[in-house]
Amino acid sequence: MMLVLFLPVFLFLLLVGLPVFFALLLSPGLLLWLNGQESDIALLYRNVFNGMDSFPLMALPFFVLAGEMMNRGGITNRLVEFSQAFMGHLRGGLAHVNILSSILFAGLSGSAVADTSALGSTLIPAMEKNGYSRKFAAAITAASSVIGPIIPPSGIMIIYAYVMGESVAALFLAGIVPGILVGVGLMVVVRLMADRYDLPKAERIVAPGQTISPLEKWVSFALIRLNLAALLSAVFWGIIGALGTSFSDGGPATTWIVFSLLLLVAHVMLVALRQQVSNDFRLVCKKAVAPLQTPIIILGGILGGVFTPTEASAVAVAYAAIIAFVVLRSLRLSDLPGILTRSAMSSATVLMLVGAAVAFKTVVSLSHAPESLTEFMLSLSSNPLVLLFLINILLFVVGMFLDAGPAIIILGPILGPIFVSMGVHPVHFAIIMSVNLTVGLATPPMGLVLFVASSVSGEKVETISRAILPFLAVEVVVIFLITYIPAISMTIPRLTGFVQ
Amino acid sequence: MFALLRPIAWVNSMILRLGRQVAWVALGVMVLVILAQVIFRYVLNNALPWPDEAARFLMLWMTALMAPSAMRWGGFVSIEIVPQALPRVPGLLLQLCLLSGSLVVLIVAVKFGYGHTFGFGGNFNSSSLRLPLDWIGFESVRVKLRYMYGSLFLCVLLLISVTIELILRTLVRLIDADAILPDDDAPDFLPEAE
Repeated sequence: MMLVLFLPVFLFLLLVGLPVFFALLLSPGLLLWLNGQESDIALLYRNVFNGMDSFPLMALPFFVLAGEMMNRGGITNRLVEFSQAFMGHLRGGLAHVNILSSILFAGLSGSAVADTSALGSTLIPAMEKNGYSRKFAAAITAASSVIGPIIPPSGIMIIYAYVMGESVAALFLAGIVPGILVGVGLMVVVRLMADRYDLPKAERIVAPGQTISPLEKWVSFALIRLNLAALLSAVFWGIIGALGTSFSDGGPATTWIVFSLLLLVAHVMLVALRQQVSNDFRLVCKKAVAPLQTPIIILGGILGGVFTPTEASAVAVAYAAIIAFVVLRSLRLSDLPGILTRSAMSSATVLMLVGAAVAFKTVVSLSHAPESLTEFMLSLSSNPLVLLFLINILLFVVGMFLDAGPAIIILGPILGPIFVSMGVHPVHFAIIMSVNLTVGLATPPMGLVLFVASSVSGEKVETISRAILPFLAVEVVVIFLITYIPAISMTIPRLTGFVQ
Repeated sequence: MFALLRPIAWVNSMILRLGRQVAWVALGVMVLVILAQVIFRYVLNNALPWPDEAARFLMLWMTALMAPSAMRWGGFVSIEIVPQALPRVPGLLLQLCLLSGSLVVLIVAVKFGYGHTFGFGGNFNSSSLRLPLDWIGFESVRVKLRYMYGSLFLCVLLLISVTIELILRTLVRLIDADAILPDDDAPDFLPEAE
């Protein structure tokens, strides 16, 4: 019974400033010792090791490395130019470009901080030059960067999946629509503010005189046709399967013949399309093809059953290396040690935390804390919808003070079992937690991306904190939509068979 | 105090610098090992038994050798509202208490880490890892699990050394606010936490 006390002790240690890693070990260790369960302290140590000794967890350093390579490889400008070509003409164009760039960047990197620093350093000065206030530019950059860890690949979802024993693929798929929804919500706010504050359109939608290297041109040429043919092929076989014709039983030869024909169709479609747009617009799109192939490789590989998430992450690293070193030639071999060191360091701190979280989870189970907490919560209300509301408030407050990764590690093992026992689907609850705590990254007073946006823009954190409030409001609305309409997150995992 | 801090800071700088070099190489090799696994399975139709365990081995050592540097440079996540809100002296005293708490955890971990690494379990062979000495005419040697377990044990020892340095730094700042502290070897960039 005394073990239940480790939660308040843990909370106290955390609040006075003990690093999360040590708080996760000291609070249960102390109470196990007071309880005379010294052998269980040995178990605590072993579980730190076992927690880090995991093949699925390896996806985390690999995705960090792939994102770092893409980021250092200078793909940010390509994504911004691509977004501007599509959305720059709207009123509040560069704000829309900022949001769309974040959505696209999210497919390459699972980090909100990387998003803010990469896109902010390019877009905040450009927005200022275009007539936006610096605080608005910094606020929209910080607000849209939270899409990074929601759309796959996502570091916090890998952590959650591992600590809670869920499928990484299911969580990745469940994050797609919520991530896009956050982006769309922010665009709606920008549209409303554009009328009120007379926000400008982008000065120039596509910069003239675009150039592309021959190698990149041919790589983009091939990739875009292969992707379009694969998409047409999926639609074709879907229709054939639905019709139930004998043609659907054709062997590999039939499949290849159909794919070759669809490749031809894709080529004809793209040739027809090129007549409609300017040469510069085409080049801007071509320059975005290679970077945007990364999420297709990751998700396609996992969904197609070709790779495990860990293997997909290693393939993503190899792809990022080929793009940055060979195709774009934006990185040199001498850059590699710095990139690897930076990625290893980011990953090491998180992996240590995950190890400590696994140990902490063991003591959570031993203490029967979830059962006690469930009883307490049911005494507040037996309606899961009311409890989900309350938990969202709790998560939002926690997110104000603690980063998403450590918060997931701490709260997942405590809250997850409670809501699953109430009938909330584990994947749905994982998405509620992930989105809520990710939004916390942009929430004052301790939101990490606010500080990064401040250092990138030179604007005070307090000023950005006020300017970000309208965007946070819409993100809170999205959190509640995701909470009360499970179909938003669960439809894609269900359709693809990753969730029953 | 300062006389004690300087050599510890120097030793930590040297050891952790070496650790970081090994760690980034380990991360690079991890990628190659997993790619080899994919290539052998799909291209050569021959699933290798060892890449899974080899990559985990490398990840454990990468983490163990990188985490102490992260701690030295303040990379371990914490809520800093209270320490920052306090005036200088109480803030440093609180910092001292927190570092002492961390040191207690690490010292206890040494006891259990030693048993874990050098005890009975560490004597078992890894299921698939072996040193291919047969390539040079000797018998191949299976890797003992203690070489994996040892990563966390070494990490704890390095973290103790870093924590002692951080305690001494705090004490020096407590005694003399203007003291010039030894260089902590931090690079231009610091890791971006999530």
